[in-house]
Amino acid sequence: MKTIYKVAVALLVLLTAACASGPKFNTVESGLSPLPGGKARIYFYRSTALGVGIQPEIYLNGAVVGKAVAHGVFFVDQNPGNMEVSTASEVEKKLTFGIGAGETRYVKCAVGLGVLVYRIIPELVDEAEARKEIAELAYTGPGNGLPGK
Amino acid sequence: MAQLTPGGTLMQIARALVIATSFALLGGCASEVVRIAEPLQAVSEAERKWIEITEDAQIVFASGYGRTLPAGSLWEHRGNVRQGAAYRRIKGVFTIEGAHVHEAYIVISNDQLVGFYLPVEQAYSPAQPVSLKLRPRENR
Repeated sequence: MKTIYKVAVALLVLLTAACASGPKFNTVESGLSPLPGGKARIYFYRSTALGVGIQPEIYLNGAVVGKAVAHGVFFVDQNPGNMEVSTASEVEKKLTFGIGAGETRYVKCAVGLGVLVYRIIPELVDEAEARKEIAELAYTGPGNGLPGK
Repeated sequence: MAQLTPGGTLMQIARALVIATSFALLGGCASEVVRIAEPLQAVSEAERKWIEITEDAQIVFASGYGRTLPAGSLWEHRGNVRQGAAYRRIKGVFTIEGAHVHEAYIVISNDQLVGFYLPVEQAYSPAQPVSLKLRPRENR
């Protein structure tokens, strides 16, 4: 019984440590920088703790923009155009989409079962669904979306 | 007490593992979306008419993945390819999926979905034709 208790505590600590920390998005949203003229905004978020140990980097057009941290959300402002999102996950699944100036789009880092471990799959999500999902997530980006920068 | 014998719990676990691994392998090895380079003859913003899909339509891609085009969804005419008129989802997103996921427009000809236009890849992807129930909608 003691062993089960210890394992449960260890798991809880692991889960807590691996989840994003930061203020809830809906508490900081009003203070975020407005979208600069001529730019487009892309939100990245992960709403589940499933596969919490897997937190790959997120690439946007080949450059790292952040990490897929469980229960975390951040954004980047980009020049409009074609976007390719991928993660350094077990199986690379790319997402491609276009974005125009003044537009905001939402990319969810969904978690799927891989061959050996969970994998992170970027999905394009419509605004209404994304807004609901990110409200309670931890905001991990200071404005340009690079956690810790 | 679990029976760790063939025919008991061990067999059930093994079966579940085989099924899960099969699904995982299928997901990891899906074929690429077929793409044919195709220019889009874009229509001007003033000419962009909206349509509404009035009944759910199910689509299954060659990769095995599928999507539902939901009743009530709105689509904006963005241009034409040789195969038909290309419509972008309004107030929502639409993607097609194979080894990767691509934002896509639906291509319609004679009230049938005949394929998809991938705006990033500037390519057409054919589909098994699916009849659609459509009606014109006022823009905005």
